[in-house]
Amino acid sequence: MDQQIVNAIFIGSIYALFAVGYTLVFGVLDILNLAHSAVFMLGAAVTYTLVVSYGQSFWVACVGGILVSALMGLVIEHVCLRPLRRRQAPPISALISTIGLALVILAAVEQGKAGSFFAWLWKDGANAVAFPPSTIPNPTWHVGDLTLEASKVAIIPIAIALMLLLGYVIRYTQVGRGLRAVAENPRAARLMGVDVDRIISLTLVISSALGGLAGILFGVALGGISPYMGRDQVEVRGLAIIVLGGMGSVAGAVVGGYLLALIELLALISLGSSARGGVAFAALFLVLILRPQGLFGTRLRERI
Amino acid sequence: MKRLHLVGLLAVAALVAACGSSGGGAPSYSGKTIKLGAILSLTGAGGVYGPSSQEGMKLAVKQINASGGVNGATIDLSVEDDQSDKNISSQKAQTFIQQNQVLALLGPTLSNSALTVHPLAETLKTPILAVSTTGIHIVPDCKFPETTACAYVFRDSLGEETAIPTNIKAYADEAHPKTGVLLVAQDDKFSKDGGTIVQANTDKNGIQLLKTIPFNKGDPDLTPYVTQAVQLRPDVIFITSLGQIPAQIMTAARKQGWQGQFLGGNGFNTAAVSKQAAANGKGARSGSAWYLGNTFPSNADFVSAYKAEYSKDPDQFAAQGYTAIKILADSARRANLTFGASAIAGDRDKLRTAMESVNLPSTPLGPFQFTSTHDVKQTVWIIQMDGVGGFTLVKEVKAS
Repeated sequence: MDQQIVNAIFIGSIYALFAVGYTLVFGVLDILNLAHSAVFMLGAAVTYTLVVSYGQSFWVACVGGILVSALMGLVIEHVCLRPLRRRQAPPISALISTIGLALVILAAVEQGKAGSFFAWLWKDGANAVAFPPSTIPNPTWHVGDLTLEASKVAIIPIAIALMLLLGYVIRYTQVGRGLRAVAENPRAARLMGVDVDRIISLTLVISSALGGLAGILFGVALGGISPYMGRDQVEVRGLAIIVLGGMGSVAGAVVGGYLLALIELLALISLGSSARGGVAFAALFLVLILRPQGLFGTRLRERI
Repeated sequence: MKRLHLVGLLAVAALVAACGSSGGGAPSYSGKTIKLGAILSLTGAGGVYGPSSQEGMKLAVKQINASGGVNGATIDLSVEDDQSDKNISSQKAQTFIQQNQVLALLGPTLSNSALTVHPLAETLKTPILAVSTTGIHIVPDCKFPETTACAYVFRDSLGEETAIPTNIKAYADEAHPKTGVLLVAQDDKFSKDGGTIVQANTDKNGIQLLKTIPFNKGDPDLTPYVTQAVQLRPDVIFITSLGQIPAQIMTAARKQGWQGQFLGGNGFNTAAVSKQAAANGKGARSGSAWYLGNTFPSNADFVSAYKAEYSKDPDQFAAQGYTAIKILADSARRANLTFGASAIAGDRDKLRTAMESVNLPSTPLGPFQFTSTHDVKQTVWIIQMDGVGGFTLVKEVKAS
């Protein structure tokens, strides 16, 4: 049981970090950015490729992975969202265009094999890979019955520190005020002199950088870096978490991330592994019925 | 007059002799093309196996075409990726059979996809040779629960019903483990079938199965399942799953300090899995249809040709893909194909009949024949991961 709680906290931190990026964009734009899971994967894939194919140290590669993810945020804004916003297209159009971009990113990585056009990006095709053991020192400590791996233990403070930093930026800085203003009412924000397009770009950059970092941490702690890691493993869970925590609420996404991990754990222990996924989504269903605004959501449009 | 008779007889004799020297009376297919279609999982969960099968097949096609083809006919192999999805797999099969008019199909990679593709090929009377599907009810009862034998479905891949029990028995006889836990992926046929076979073979080998832990391959973190298994302190952890998951389980279990033996199935048998498991997989055992280190000439030749072509070692899936093309080529050679525009159905039937009597003395898998149920009967090679991405041979168990 103890080890299982430790397992849940590790995975909960990754869930939370991923979902924070998801919810941030929703909070500002009222749009679900479904390319977020592809950015999660891209962050991990780029970092892996920089280490394995280009011989970079993990830390350099990590910065590279986060930068590429952040850049992808700009691509999402300029390719998928801004043109549609200009035409005042309904949110569903933006949702579809982000799905399209996610598929393009996934296909590009999937096609990356030695000798192929995308080999510079990824060389392992559909395979799942893990960082070579020598890349990052990863001592394992045994405390009583508990097994603690350095890579997993490190995730917790990293995730919490980043989420606190984000909270601080949103609440106390000029950028944060702009962000909240756009979330509240883009037109009013524009009239008050806020550069709305810049704020939206910035939101996507921050969100995607966090998503990419979550992917890197996932890859470090669990291996399994593959073109499908975002789509199969965190995409739907991320949605569940932001509904659970309250759409657009950063604090809600953090708590929701840990909560989903704990619910999955309890389901595993009490009902067996087949029920794990089902129970998590049953909880989500209950939240939708009993508290549709989510745990931290408000009925008013007061988010972020 | 008598002299004329004699000349005539001599002429006929010379003609017969000439035919004999040009291939034992085999018909000439000169200038024709034999179209084959392979449906493989080049991406998705089966993406660790499909590319090897493809490389093995292409190597065989290249060799056969370079040495005069099949009685003069060129083999034209098309490969389609089913993305490890059974619906895409059957769409590809349908296109191959009805639109592209292939003579025969190869694949699909995964047993899960075979569930839809094999019955389709059977219904459309097109021979299909499975090259990597090892689940239950692949041959002969491809339409299970219907028990009718499928006439057009064959496989050259060693079934888990043979490989897993052989592997468990070999380890039980050697190390006498008392307890085991089974980790089984519940979301595909191959893995589930493997789990069923493990469950049926623990008791009879004196191993108490403490718990069966099913999981889904899409779970982001398999650690909680591994923790459940490790906390029971079994002597053996059985893993039946696809892709990189066995490697992830091995890594997680070793990190949690578990020192016992991993036993598994066909899912272990590719270098990609051994490479990812690395030191954590060292000693993990499985029953394999093929072993890299076999030095008999047909395997040694295959290994060196493959290395020359792809600059890497082949694996079991490459060997089975390669052998499959040899089987189809040999059958086509003996099938008296007509190649007429409307003769494809007749040619498919002729090929099917010829496949039943395939007898290849030397393939990378060893001597090859189909059983009466279109399955493969062959030696099982018990292999173990060497900790650095390859395998070593533990034991050879000849077919009984």
